[in-house]
Amino acid sequence: MSDLVVETRGLRKTFRDGTHRITAVDGLDLSVERGGVHGFLGPNGSGKTTTIRMLLGLATPDAGEVHVLGQQLPGRLPEVIGRIGAVVEHPQFAPDLSGRRNLQLLARTAGLPRQRADEVLEEVGLARRGRGRYRRYSYGMKQRLGLAAALLKQPDLLILDEPMNGLDPAGINDVRELVVRLGESGVTVLLSSHVLSEVQQVCSSVSIIAEGSLLASGKVADLLGESTAQTRVGVSDTRQATLLLTAAGFSVTPDGDDLLVQGHDHPEEITRALAAHDLYVTELTAVRPDLESFFLVLTGHRPRPTTGPIDAPAAPTDQDDS
Amino acid sequence: MRLLRVEIARYRSRRMIALLLLLAALLAAVVAVKSAWDTRPITPQEAATARANADIASQRSDIKADLEHCLADPEQYLGTGTTAQDCRDNLTASPRSYLPREPLDLTGTLKGNGLGVALAVAALLVIAATTFAGSDWGSGSVVTQLVFEPRRTRVWVAKAGAVTLASAVVATITIGGFWLAMYLVAVDRDVPHGSGVMSDVGWHGLRAVLFATGAALGAFALTMLFRHSVATLALLFAYSVGGEILAFLVPVDNVGRWTLGNNVFGWLETRMEYFDPTARCARNGACSGLEHISHLQGGLYLLVLLAVAVVASLWTFRRRDVSGG
Repeated sequence: MSDLVVETRGLRKTFRDGTHRITAVDGLDLSVERGGVHGFLGPNGSGKTTTIRMLLGLATPDAGEVHVLGQQLPGRLPEVIGRIGAVVEHPQFAPDLSGRRNLQLLARTAGLPRQRADEVLEEVGLARRGRGRYRRYSYGMKQRLGLAAALLKQPDLLILDEPMNGLDPAGINDVRELVVRLGESGVTVLLSSHVLSEVQQVCSSVSIIAEGSLLASGKVADLLGESTAQTRVGVSDTRQATLLLTAAGFSVTPDGDDLLVQGHDHPEEITRALAAHDLYVTELTAVRPDLESFFLVLTGHRPRPTTGPIDAPAAPTDQDDS
Repeated sequence: MRLLRVEIARYRSRRMIALLLLLAALLAAVVAVKSAWDTRPITPQEAATARANADIASQRSDIKADLEHCLADPEQYLGTGTTAQDCRDNLTASPRSYLPREPLDLTGTLKGNGLGVALAVAALLVIAATTFAGSDWGSGSVVTQLVFEPRRTRVWVAKAGAVTLASAVVATITIGGFWLAMYLVAVDRDVPHGSGVMSDVGWHGLRAVLFATGAALGAFALTMLFRHSVATLALLFAYSVGGEILAFLVPVDNVGRWTLGNNVFGWLETRMEYFDPTARCARNGACSGLEHISHLQGGLYLLVLLAVAVVASLWTFRRRDVSGG
């Protein structure tokens, strides 16, 4: 496990809810390699936050092993906590203190110089509002302060739980750039988010969980498949176009009034094949591999397509009321 | 030490806590001023009025008749062992009876306003301690703190140390300040303030400071256990008030020995006695008998409560999962 910054094996956590026991994490095997941004995805209640809390020693696993930065948790957590920065669930600070004062006290707790507080406030764009009381901060400012706290220790591993929540578009862009920059600088960022378009933009690899178990994990490109390039084709006579394109060796799937075509290197191959038989396209759109579709199918929120890749639009079914 | 300094800074920074501590100081000052004012020396005019009223009273026929009856047979009138002098002392109208107020008496203050100040300061420090711990849980900031220092025993001890230290300082300043003011007033008015009474005051002050500090630490421990300040205050209220009510309902001999209130007074008062209204009293008809709780008994009772709260709180804080507010 030398190059794994986070590794869990058979991680399990249950909670009591009245008379029932709820399994939040159920035998989770999670591996996060050193460096880059790793997305940690799952529907609400899938066990993401519980897993993060176990990685930080805030919750104790019922079973399984956790290794972070090469140390077994929770016993060796004090040895590595100085190298971990985290925002869990949502930013949580003393409401009566200013953002700057909160950071200064956290810096002192970790044995860091006070000026680190000002440095990270600058880094997250909160320098001018740092002296305001935390309770008066907007949610976006609280998120920024949470990020600042996570950066205080100049961590090797940064764990961010929904860091884009509550941010305005400029804030989202700032955080995205910051996360990418950190990932490129050698920091390992474990990013839990439900904004899948964001995850797809910044993450080099992802792990997807549902009901506490790992569904898929790996490089984003590998998961979505390099060969899944599709093109949506609008044409007046879809029946004839289907015959022509199939004869030309493409894979064709009806998609409403259009066709989804696969198996080409470039969309002009499609137009050429149709134009040769006096059929002209009215629409030609590249359908990019989509993490959201992949995620929705994998987590059972969208039916798996009958043909084509997993992230292709699903074929309509009787149950599909959307 | 680093963590302790951080927690002291957190404690000092809370506005609500600052307000409560200011209130404690203000309260002690107000009670000291009121005690001094209520016992201010009698003016010559007030003394003359008292003498005149006493003269008028001594001329009243009913009072004269009572005195004559008493002098005729003191033991029948006042009880076994009394003499004619007791009749004159008790039934003759004295100017002192008509004075508008009593002079300052430090021994009396020990049982009165001094005790009140000690209890009020302790109550405010309890609220401050629950606010301190409750705010950490309410805001969820304890999660952020544990991400920076995951050794929970250290975190708990640092927080408890901050509460204990701050409470001890505030209790010493407020309670000590109150008694210093009373002492200066007594010296100024030439009221008895010899070593005997000052020794009682000194020991009472020390016990009051220890009580207020221990109460704050106990309240902090309970709030860390329940993770909610209202739950702590509700429990303390139920235990103190509910316990007293239960004590009077339960037909067990001398159950008052185990109520919180009696033990608190047993610890704080110079000599605490209480009436036991329960079964034995009713059965034996010996209801005039008073029970006594010594400082040691009261102190041990409170110490055991504190130890239970501290151990339970620390144990659960170390073991229970922590989630956001």
